[in-house]
Amino acid sequence: MLEVYTWEPNANSGKPLFCLKEKQVPFVFHYIDMGKREHFSPGFLAVNRDGTIPAVVHDGFVMTESTPIMEYIDDAFDGPALRPADPYWRWRMRQVMRFMDNQVAPSLAMLASNRLAAPQFQGADPAELKRELDKIPLPERRAAWEKLMFNKTPPADLEESTRRVREAIRHFDALLAQTPWLAGPDFSLADINVIATFYGLPTSQPEQVNAQATPHLWDWLRRCHARPGIQQAFQLGKGYIGQRAAEARSLLGVEAVAA
Amino acid sequence: MIALHHGGPSGYSASLLIALAEKGLAYEDHPLDLATFAQHAPDFLAINPSGQVPVLREDGRTLTEAFFTLLYLDERYPDPPLGGADPQARYTVQKWGKYVETHIAPNLAIVDWAMRGQVPDDAVRAGFERLPAERRALWEQALEGFPAEEVQGARAALAKAADRIAEDLADRGWLAGDGWSLADIIVFPHAAYFASLDIAVPAAMVDWLARAGQRPAVRQALGAQGLVAASATMGPERGRWG
Repeated sequence: MLEVYTWEPNANSGKPLFCLKEKQVPFVFHYIDMGKREHFSPGFLAVNRDGTIPAVVHDGFVMTESTPIMEYIDDAFDGPALRPADPYWRWRMRQVMRFMDNQVAPSLAMLASNRLAAPQFQGADPAELKRELDKIPLPERRAAWEKLMFNKTPPADLEESTRRVREAIRHFDALLAQTPWLAGPDFSLADINVIATFYGLPTSQPEQVNAQATPHLWDWLRRCHARPGIQQAFQLGKGYIGQRAAEARSLLGVEAVAA
Repeated sequence: MIALHHGGPSGYSASLLIALAEKGLAYEDHPLDLATFAQHAPDFLAINPSGQVPVLREDGRTLTEAFFTLLYLDERYPDPPLGGADPQARYTVQKWGKYVETHIAPNLAIVDWAMRGQVPDDAVRAGFERLPAERRALWEQALEGFPAEEVQGARAALAKAADRIAEDLADRGWLAGDGWSLADIIVFPHAAYFASLDIAVPAAMVDWLARAGQRPAVRQALGAQGLVAASATMGPERGRWG
C-alpha cells in the first residue's frame, strides 16, 4: 500500500502528488492541514517524528525527504520515466533540483509565508503562540515559525529572498532557451520540482514573468500546466492552491484537460 | 579520462577518492592545498566558480557537488554497484546524501571554525572576494565569528546526526541496505571527525567507522595516513527558511 501524508499540491508538499499523478500510480491521500498546523499534531508525529511534510509510506517503509521521494517514485513504480537515462543528464537534473531546493524554494516560502500566513498571527496571545512553537520538533523549523509568528523576519533576509527569486527566474529562462525541459529533451523530475513552486508565477510575479520578459519560461509554464498529470494533481487541493493554478492556466491560455 | 580536482583525503574529496578506488577507475590527479585556500585561486575558480572541491571532469564536462558526482560515477560505471540494491536502499542513499549537505557538513564547518580560531591573512581574504555572493556571505559570517548559541546549535545538530547514523546502522550494520554503499561513502569522511570535535559518538558508529576504515579500497584511497584533518571549509548554506 502507498500512502501520502501531505498538504496541498504546492512546493515540497506537492512533489509526491505531481510525480504520482504523472506516473498514474494509485495511492491513499491523507490530507494534513498545514494551516491548522496538523503536521505538528501527535497523530502525524507518529508517522514522521520530525513533523515535516510530505511523508510517504510504501508497504511500511517511511520516507520524509521530498526530493529523494521523487526519485523513489520514479524508481519503484511503472509508468513513464521521469529521469533521463544518461548519467550526465541525471546529474544536470539533480543540480536543478538542488538549486531549487536550497536557493529558490526556501526564498519563495519565506516571502509567501510572510505575506500570506504572518497576518493571521497578529494580535494573537503570545503565550498561546509560544505553546504552538513548542510543538515543533526540528529547531530549524521552530526558528522559522518563530520569525513568522512574531513578525521577526529581518528585512535584509526578505530582500535577499527577492533577489534570489529574481535571479532564479532569469536562470531558468536561460536554461529553457537551450533545451525544451529543465534537464534536457524530456520532461523530468526537475520540471516537477520547479513547477511545484513556480506554478503561480504568472499571477504572483506578472511584472517579472511574462511572455515578453521570459519567453522560454512562459512557454515552459504553459506546457507544464497543459499536462494532464499536473492538472490532476492540482485537483487534489482542498484550499486555495487549485484556484491559484486555475488562474495561472487562464493567464497562460491553457485549457483544463483533466477530468 | 577522468580528472579529479580534490583537497586530499578529507571531507567530500575523500568520498570521491574512495568511490574511484572502489570502482578501480584511473584518473588524472589534481590535488589542491586547501590550507592555503588554493580552491579560491583564479585558476581553480575558472574551473569551478563557487571555489569548492571536489570537481570531476570527463568528456569535456565539469561535474560539481560531491554527492551528485558519486551518483554519476555509479550510474556511469556500475561495477561494483554502490547506489543501493533496491529502491528502498537507493532512497536511503539519497536521504543520507541530502542529510550530509543540510545537517552535517555546514554544522561541522561551524564547530570546526569556532574551535580552530583561525584568523585568515590578506591573501586568503582576497580569495573570499572572488567568490559568488552566497559563498562569500558564508565566509564573511565566519570572519565575524559565530555567536556562542549558533555554535551550540551546530553541536546539537551533530549530536543528533550521530544518533541518526547509529539508528540506521542498527538494522544491518551499514547505512543503506545490506552492504557498503554511497550512503556510507558520503557520511564516513564527515562522521570520522565527530570525536575530535567532542561530539559524542555512539558505539554502533565507532564500530562502523572502524569497519569502513579497514576496507581495502578505503585504505588505498586515503593513503598511509588515513583521513587527514580537514582544512577550514564553510557551508553549504543551511536552510534559510526552516
